[in-house]
Amino acid sequence: MGPLIPQEIIAEGWNFLIAFGVGIGFGFILEQAGFSSSRKLAGVFYGYDAVVLKVFFTGAITGMIGLLYLSLFDWIDLNLIWVNPTYLWSAIIGGIIMGAGFIVGGFCPGTSVCAAAIGKIDAMVFFGGIFIGILLFGETFEWIKPLYMAEYWGQIKLSELIGISQGLLTFFIIIAALLMFWVAEMAEKKFPQKEY
Amino acid sequence: MIPRLLLSAVYFGLGIIIAFVPENTTKPFRLTAEQMLNEVKYRSEMVSSDELADWMVNQDPSIQLIDIRTPKEFDQFHLENALNIPLSQILDEEWIDFLDQGIKMNILYSNGTTLAHEAWMISRQLGYENNYVLQGGLNYWTETILNPSAPSPYSADDEIAKYEFRKGASQYFGGEMKSTNESKKTKTDKPIIKRRKKKKAPQGGC
Repeated sequence: MGPLIPQEIIAEGWNFLIAFGVGIGFGFILEQAGFSSSRKLAGVFYGYDAVVLKVFFTGAITGMIGLLYLSLFDWIDLNLIWVNPTYLWSAIIGGIIMGAGFIVGGFCPGTSVCAAAIGKIDAMVFFGGIFIGILLFGETFEWIKPLYMAEYWGQIKLSELIGISQGLLTFFIIIAALLMFWVAEMAEKKFPQKEY
Repeated sequence: MIPRLLLSAVYFGLGIIIAFVPENTTKPFRLTAEQMLNEVKYRSEMVSSDELADWMVNQDPSIQLIDIRTPKEFDQFHLENALNIPLSQILDEEWIDFLDQGIKMNILYSNGTTLAHEAWMISRQLGYENNYVLQGGLNYWTETILNPSAPSPYSADDEIAKYEFRKGASQYFGGEMKSTNESKKTKTDKPIIKRRKKKKAPQGGC
């Protein structure tokens, strides 16, 4: 049956409207989970608050389980789901830059918009910074391109890479996530947030 | 603490189940046996040689001929502007963009109709549309279009009209006593087909 748009059950024109709705929902949940506070976000790096880790990993494992069960019951064709292609070096270096920006700025791109929307000035500055970054990237792209395109692995899935079934991989990731949540909660007790 | 443990247990349980069930591999085939039977019953995939001749004479840009025979046979004789996709290579990734598209009308042909039909059934099972089969294949094409035989003078008017058309078409294709073994050395380029846009899911970050 699904995915609804590639199967042409819903016309393609609805794409943006649905994305708009999902985006609003996503922003709402981010704000509800307290992600508009840069202290909370940076907390994951200092160990006093692991809510970022918990929210995103819960989201990931929920999505994985949902997709696999839908596929099991023939409700979705996983072959039609877009898989982001892997450019290994881009992913690693981009991850480092993003992580560094996360610690320094206290936001990631999505949460900065969220926090800017409730009127936080630091988030607005961060949001402006994103565009400076985009401009720099665009202007130097020719120079960065060899690195950007290096180690292209195609639209590969982790399960294909290590050669186990998607279900088994999902199970391992669930175990890993639960263990991480447990460790993170211990860390929260060990490194309580300092009051200023 | 209890809700978290409960939730963890639920995730753990769902994870165990999904780890043990086999992956769903039934998806690549889109048509049920009944749907297939219906399509075969109504013969909606057939294109007659007269229809094809008409389109070719008028140089209809929306048709794409696909020769299912081996490259050797293709080199000996093929219809104008045909593309050679041997049956054994029908699943090759190279050809997906030609077979699975919504712009041109693909007309599959072989010497008879068996190979073309086999190719058509495979493509239909994969859910591809716009593929058709030349009725009677090249043999019937030669018989009716290249070397048409005159109907008896007492035939119905439309029979005679059909013959007149075929005679004209035969001249166009340079038939009339020409044997099919005569090789046409026109090398046809692969037609350009707009690649279907990959459906992109919105790429998220946090």
